[in-house]
Amino acid sequence: MTLLAGIGFTTPWLLLGLLALPILWLLLRAVPPAPVRRVFPAVTLLLGLSDDESLSDRTPWWLLLLRLLAVAAAIIGLSGPVLNPAPSTAGRGPLLLVLDASWVGADNWRQRREQITSKLTEAGRAGRTVALLRLTAPEPLQFQSADVWRSRVAGLGPQPWQPNPDQIATALDHLTAVETGFDTLWFADGLEYPDRDQLISALQARGELQVHQTSANRLGLLPAQVADGAIELTVLRSHTSAEQQVTVLAQGRDPGGTMRVLASVSVDFTAGVDRASARLILPSQLRARITRFELQRIRSAGAVALTDDSLRRREVALISSQTDNEGLVLLSPMHYLRQALQPTAELFEGGLGDLLPANPDVIILADVARLAETEEEQLTEWVEKGGMLLRFAGPRLAASDISRDEEHPLMPVRLRSGGRSLGGAMSWGEPKTLAPFQQGSPFYGLTIPEEVTVSSQVMAQPDPSLADRVIAALGDGTPLVTRKALGQGQVVLFHVTANAEWTSLPLSGLFVDMLERLAVSTAAKPPSADDLEGTIWTPIKVLDGFGRLGEADTLPGVNGPELMEAAAGPDLRPGLYDSGSRTLARNVLRAGDQLQPAIWPRDVPVISAAASAERALGGMLISLALVLLALDVAASLALSGLLHLSRTAALVLGLAAAAWLGLPAQSALAQQGADQLGLSSELALAHVLTGDDQVDEIAHSGLRGLSNTLAFRTSIEPSLPVGVDLERDELAFYPLLYWPITPDQPRPSAAAYTRLNAYLRTGGMILFDTRDANLVGAGASSANARKLQQLARSLDIPPLEPLPADHVLTRAFYLLQDFPGRHQRGELWVEAAPADAEHIEGMPFRNLNDGVTPVVIGSNDWGAAWAVDNNGRPLLPVGRGFAGERQRELAYRFGVNLVMHVLTGNYKSDQVHVPALLDRLGQ
Amino acid sequence: MTSPHLSQATGLRRRAEIAAGSLPPLLVQAEQLAGSVLLGEHGRRRAGMGDDFWQYRVAQPGDSRNMIDHRRSARGDQQFIREREWQIAQTVHVWVDQGGSMRFASKPDLPQKIDRARKLALAASILMLRGGERVGLTGTALPPRSGNMQVLRMAEAFSLNDDTDYAPPEHHAMIPHARGLFISDFLGPFDELQLALGKAADRGLRGVLLQVLDPSEEAFPFSGRTLFESVTGGLRHETLKASALRDRYLERLAERRDGLETLCRATGWQIGLHHTGDSAQTALLWLYHALERTR
Repeated sequence: MTLLAGIGFTTPWLLLGLLALPILWLLLRAVPPAPVRRVFPAVTLLLGLSDDESLSDRTPWWLLLLRLLAVAAAIIGLSGPVLNPAPSTAGRGPLLLVLDASWVGADNWRQRREQITSKLTEAGRAGRTVALLRLTAPEPLQFQSADVWRSRVAGLGPQPWQPNPDQIATALDHLTAVETGFDTLWFADGLEYPDRDQLISALQARGELQVHQTSANRLGLLPAQVADGAIELTVLRSHTSAEQQVTVLAQGRDPGGTMRVLASVSVDFTAGVDRASARLILPSQLRARITRFELQRIRSAGAVALTDDSLRRREVALISSQTDNEGLVLLSPMHYLRQALQPTAELFEGGLGDLLPANPDVIILADVARLAETEEEQLTEWVEKGGMLLRFAGPRLAASDISRDEEHPLMPVRLRSGGRSLGGAMSWGEPKTLAPFQQGSPFYGLTIPEEVTVSSQVMAQPDPSLADRVIAALGDGTPLVTRKALGQGQVVLFHVTANAEWTSLPLSGLFVDMLERLAVSTAAKPPSADDLEGTIWTPIKVLDGFGRLGEADTLPGVNGPELMEAAAGPDLRPGLYDSGSRTLARNVLRAGDQLQPAIWPRDVPVISAAASAERALGGMLISLALVLLALDVAASLALSGLLHLSRTAALVLGLAAAAWLGLPAQSALAQQGADQLGLSSELALAHVLTGDDQVDEIAHSGLRGLSNTLAFRTSIEPSLPVGVDLERDELAFYPLLYWPITPDQPRPSAAAYTRLNAYLRTGGMILFDTRDANLVGAGASSANARKLQQLARSLDIPPLEPLPADHVLTRAFYLLQDFPGRHQRGELWVEAAPADAEHIEGMPFRNLNDGVTPVVIGSNDWGAAWAVDNNGRPLLPVGRGFAGERQRELAYRFGVNLVMHVLTGNYKSDQVHVPALLDRLGQ
Repeated sequence: MTSPHLSQATGLRRRAEIAAGSLPPLLVQAEQLAGSVLLGEHGRRRAGMGDDFWQYRVAQPGDSRNMIDHRRSARGDQQFIREREWQIAQTVHVWVDQGGSMRFASKPDLPQKIDRARKLALAASILMLRGGERVGLTGTALPPRSGNMQVLRMAEAFSLNDDTDYAPPEHHAMIPHARGLFISDFLGPFDELQLALGKAADRGLRGVLLQVLDPSEEAFPFSGRTLFESVTGGLRHETLKASALRDRYLERLAERRDGLETLCRATGWQIGLHHTGDSAQTALLWLYHALERTR
């Protein structure tokens, strides 16, 4: 039954329960909430006070509303509401599902699959047998039960091509093989392809034909073209009516090797146009990294354009006449060329004979006049096959008679003898500047810096063809750069040197730009079918219908001409192909393609609206009712003042929800952050966990005793001491680390040592305690002392010396002579005083090191002497009788001095200057 | 072989250790609090028996000759007598309400009233003991004594709780002309306090009352249907609309305070008010100066 548009109910009579709601309202209203119990000692003052108004307390209206909503949601939920209830389509007999299954529909393949599944379910309910025919991959028809097909739908992906006439012919053959009549559902992708009308009439002959087609605008991306240094990207569309904007992403590997979007460009369609292009200008290094272009947010093979060699780095061969003179690097033309080309091209240097077989893209001859005859022939042949020869003039070229009387094939123009020189000591005129580049020149659009001047050049003979060949000229019109085509390649001559001898051009950025324009404009054009005649190309990677690259595995090779000309199909899958050292990208669309929307005959019913799936709402409504009831519980508790009891429960629930949402890592992180925040807000003493429980416990209680003493006697009030695990914990929060040595504690890892050294360098202090009375440093080595040596070997510890009598530790807070712990005799070692510290007459102390000693090493077991239990009573006996208590007191005093020293540095040392300062001020 | 006496004695010892184990935190807190007040004025500010010099005065007839200070007198014609400051130990009786009503804190981050009261009493006692006074509890439990050991005994006495809701002030065995320090919330029966203070005044005792209240007892931030209970649950009062009681409650609280002030004026005592939400240090300073004034 359908009550509202788009919503139906399975058991509508349950809705009558809604009538009971007003009664529920009245009932709930009469029951007041329970009183809040509060402990309140001043209740004596309340005794005898009566309420003024006899107010009968009622449940607040919003709570009532909440409960009623919960009940209503439950009632409606139980009556089984369904969104978009499917109208059942009648039909009997076998059913054929025809799929285009081309790349065009890949973008909304998921909806398409759901649609097919729902149709299959329907057919299964009606007991119809079903066959399925994919036009891109036709197979003989098998009429089977719908359930069998339903399990196979997930495996039927779109193919990266459109149905071609061969496949349609195969499909027609399969159709005629079926004897019975059947109805047909055709899931079309919405684009026109040849021979579709034959299929339509064949299907209509067998039974009813219904077409499901989404009316979405289909987009496709043509292969990227390189033109004049820019990448041209063309996007096709099937619906031409509206204005539209599409973003094309250029993807590739970054230097770290991860795929990412390297650039993006937006393509604007004006109304009524089926294709639009955009130019993308990128630094050539970045351009070489691009592996594919794709339309943003469209998952389809047609929205992907793979790139091949045409975007890769040029290979440039540098050939110079002169042998390299190491002393004169800045005079060598090669130096300027290398500097200009290194970032964008692969450079080779060497002799022409060696480099030509490598088949570089560009050969640069810097002031090379004459070539050997065979070399010249080879070079000419290379140029005619599409190479680019770039020549620079120079003294040698000017002095030679090459291309003098008649044009040399490897020179673009004839040259006059000698050349000219401007602005020199013996000539009139100023050095010339460049004229703006003409439209049609490859340099057009480059800005010419003012400081670029030319003082010498070789001159071109005036010829009828000269004007066409000039692509850059000086201010007076004399040619600076000339170019001529030779076969498929070209020859370019700079009439100046490639070094700064004749012109300042090589010093400016314009030189780099010009070289780039030239090198780019010779970029490999997509090879024509003739070039590919006789070659076999093997697929390396192929695209699937969604535009994902997959391994080609055992696919057969493809003939060269076919690769460029044939339409994509099962024998020619779009992807990357390889032959020898060359790679070619074959994309789904080719330059001449069009996307034309399919037009159906008038008698074929076309269902174009995307049918929304049936959706049961009952579960949602019942969960809503549960949520409302939970809210009601919380609200009732809050009203009766009991919410504080359930706060922990709420916390638990909240944490559970957070865990469920996959936040545990974050909350753990936050927890750690909060811990660290807590640590940093208060000073705490820390000891290193040795792994020996007893030692750790004594160290901990020792630091507690020291903290208590500090809090009681000084303005340092540490919080509870902390045991730190060197492998895990952050050390930066602790000014002092107490490190008791045990013979069997593990050596910290390298990472822990890195952090320990950072800790020491940034002002931390470690108190090493071997706890064995007097053996440290005294040659004889106890187990603990040996362990200390092992542990400290990787630490960044300065030279040490036994504590001198005038060290600031002796007077940081208390005046101390010795530093007993539980033992009395051990020596204390600290950072050695600088060598230049000397005793000044009349001064009690030397002017010692500026700063805090990073380590203090001793053996007196201070932790044990400081240790107190929870109630502040000493934990371990020290010495005997009163003398022992005195020793304990001195141990505490040492601890206080130590912490003062860490926190105040050499403050007490500075006090020794006070008399001198006062003396000076007095005079 | 263990004699029953011995085992009894060791059991007692153990229990005492356990009981004393809880003292140090209170002691340390009180010591730290007391450490924040510097002892400045010990003397009685009048001539009398003592060690410290007070003043020179001209010898008068009747003064013994050996009282003359010859060093001062030799500078002039007159004869001077060197007087010393009168220093005498005072006796202070302390009473802290250990009743149930004091074991209350309205929020978890506030201390209970009884904790604050004990801490203040002990800190004040430490100060007075350091000043050389004799300090003890009212009643016969802990008679006044001087010396540092008394701090421990007082701390031990403060660790006992009273089971009743509202403990009446202990007013037995008070030494005449001593000083008194009573700390309570004074929410219990008023006539008991009246009786105690009356008796104290009869014996010439003067001193300080410190009322310790929880902030919620001052603000009464309640509303809705509420059942108010005393701490042990002995007293109850139910109301349908707590917010309507607020004004009348505050009125009664003010009345109670008026009563306390009148009582104090009549008996020569001083009264102070402290909220557990405030710092203990200001209360201690006030207590210290109030005790100074009543000396």
